[in-house]
Amino acid sequence: MFLISSIVIGFMHIHPKNQAGKSSIVRNLQPMQPVVDTLIMRKIYRLQKIRNLTEDTYVMRIDRNNMSFRAGQHITLGIPGNNQVREYSIYSTEQDPFLEVLIKEVDTGTVSRQLHKLIPGELLDVEGPFGYFTLDEKWMQREYLFVGTGTGIAPFHSLAGSYPGLKYTLLHGVRYGREAYDKSYYPEDRHILCTSRDTIGNFAGRVTDYLKQHDLNPETKVYLCGNCDMIYDVYDLLTSRGFPSGNIKTEVYF
Amino acid sequence: MKYHILTLGCQMNKSDSERVRTVIEGMGYRWTDDEEEAGLLGILACSVRQKSIDKVYSRVSRWNEWKNSRSLLTFVSGCVLPADRNKFLKLFDLVFNMSELPGLPDMIAQYGIVTGAGGNSPGRSTGIRPEERIREFWKLQPSYISDFEAYIPIQNGCDKFCTFCAVPYTRGREVSRPSQAIMDELTLLVQKGYKSITLLGQNVNSYGLDKSGSEVTFAGLLGQIGEFGARSGHEFWVYFTSPHPRDMSDEVLKMMATYNCLAKQVHLPLQSGDDKVLIRMNRKHSLEDYNRVVSSIRQILPDATLFTDIIVGFTGETLEQFENSRRAMDSIRFNMAYIAVYSPRPGAASSRWEDDIPMAEKKRRLHVLTEELTRHTLEYNKILIGKRLRVLVTGYDRKQGYMSGITEGRIIVRFFTPSPVPPGKFIWLEVTGAAPYSIEGNLITDNVIEPVLP
Repeated sequence: MFLISSIVIGFMHIHPKNQAGKSSIVRNLQPMQPVVDTLIMRKIYRLQKIRNLTEDTYVMRIDRNNMSFRAGQHITLGIPGNNQVREYSIYSTEQDPFLEVLIKEVDTGTVSRQLHKLIPGELLDVEGPFGYFTLDEKWMQREYLFVGTGTGIAPFHSLAGSYPGLKYTLLHGVRYGREAYDKSYYPEDRHILCTSRDTIGNFAGRVTDYLKQHDLNPETKVYLCGNCDMIYDVYDLLTSRGFPSGNIKTEVYF
Repeated sequence: MKYHILTLGCQMNKSDSERVRTVIEGMGYRWTDDEEEAGLLGILACSVRQKSIDKVYSRVSRWNEWKNSRSLLTFVSGCVLPADRNKFLKLFDLVFNMSELPGLPDMIAQYGIVTGAGGNSPGRSTGIRPEERIREFWKLQPSYISDFEAYIPIQNGCDKFCTFCAVPYTRGREVSRPSQAIMDELTLLVQKGYKSITLLGQNVNSYGLDKSGSEVTFAGLLGQIGEFGARSGHEFWVYFTSPHPRDMSDEVLKMMATYNCLAKQVHLPLQSGDDKVLIRMNRKHSLEDYNRVVSSIRQILPDATLFTDIIVGFTGETLEQFENSRRAMDSIRFNMAYIAVYSPRPGAASSRWEDDIPMAEKKRRLHVLTEELTRHTLEYNKILIGKRLRVLVTGYDRKQGYMSGITEGRIIVRFFTPSPVPPGKFIWLEVTGAAPYSIEGNLITDNVIEPVLP
């Protein structure tokens, strides 16, 4: 699966009904580091390793080459000499000495399958960073609701890791519990796994089903990342409750 | 030896072709309108629509037939998708990125030896970064086709990844041209008497953002141009296209308001008036964001005309979503809208989706928006009747005794004159009639110089 569309529709505030017990204390919140170097870099990067999460989904770690980025941004990735590139959200944090992306092989895809066959030491064509699916410095103290489906969890992995004190709730929608990519990475009280085809998750059903059963806190900011259908569904659900469309931020995977 | 170039697509390609001409003429070639007598034939291709690419294949096929009877060298450059580039290698003698133009004389000189000119990305093999190559390209002095209208490229490439567009894959990432080089080219043009100068880029108002603070912003660049204009003693209008709504700041608008040479016309692509379609298009702005910019334009530049681009029948566009575009047009009231029926563009993300709106329905939507636009432009143009406007004469009208021109807001003007006025000259005109897409007026003698409108 690859990206990407990003749009600031603004910020809507959601209050998950069942999250009343969640701590609202800011823990270890790191001040937003202003990224002064936004130079778009195009270089050949070396693959460090591939970590398989499921039979078709993997984390690819590559050299960072001093690339400066903000959590939530994406890069383009391709194999040198092969004329195709795809966009992938950065999975690793702003502090990590490497770059990681989360990739799911697409049956009809070419790039995702070719990338999976690479071995450490092989070279990749990387450009970036790009995109605006980042946190706004003004809103760092607010509560966030991150909603991601499938590999749409990738930018939230980067955001959660880059800002450990961030007050967020992450709704991860997948079909099966085995697709809960790196679930242990997130504090238990922040990660809600929604599974639509088994009952292994915290909630049996789609993320939209979960949201239908929960009230929205007007002080919460909503970030949506995943396929367009999910984003449309959540968008319709939230706006039908009277939230201004200008309060949602989205990143669409295509 | 004569040469001929077929330039397809947008203003950026037309601007690029002016630099290609310089390089080729520097080798001793002379331009011919007749491609049959040319020994060097080239195409600046456009990948925006399949039709343009089809035209490339059809033309090169003819040229290759001519090779059976005479010596001929062919090349292709411009906006070419990587997949097409590989196919073109078999059809053209030379295939190169526009940023590699400075090396064209070497490619031609070495043709027949074995040239790497057609490689996928020669810059990489030579260790030269794409942004360095484009800087070399910008250093070339263009051979301007007009002697009063010119384009100045200020930025190349795009980082926005709109799903209907292949530019990020054909022109690469956003790279800003050094502001000093832009000012040098502008100064030269103004000194030569150019009157209409357009700053070009895929996202002109992202100018400078790729330079990490080491270059001025777009507003800063406009400020430099404005200052130059104020002290130059010359009258000229500077336009820019296209800006992205996301990067359209009040600072830019205030610069436009401050300086006379910065023309009061804004081309701001909307693409759709529906937020969900905008999400699918990956436009990175909502209708509310767009309306906020329009509001600023109306406040800071009350006399500015507003142009836009809109796509109808984008993948999945429902009737309700289309209606939102119509409502947006009705609310904003553009002076011009370039309304396009959606067609998948090879290489763009949306080309992988089903093109699910029937052509008949797309055309109906086009017709509805065109009617909407016509109503608004006619209303606006009628308001101009009786006003005195500054007009740049651009040429001869089809109607005997009439000439044509444009206002500062780029509204087309037609006027009668007993004796021809040289194209490229500013005149005063009193508006006497209005049509949906043009106005008509009477030439005012040169001693009347006070305008009613700026």
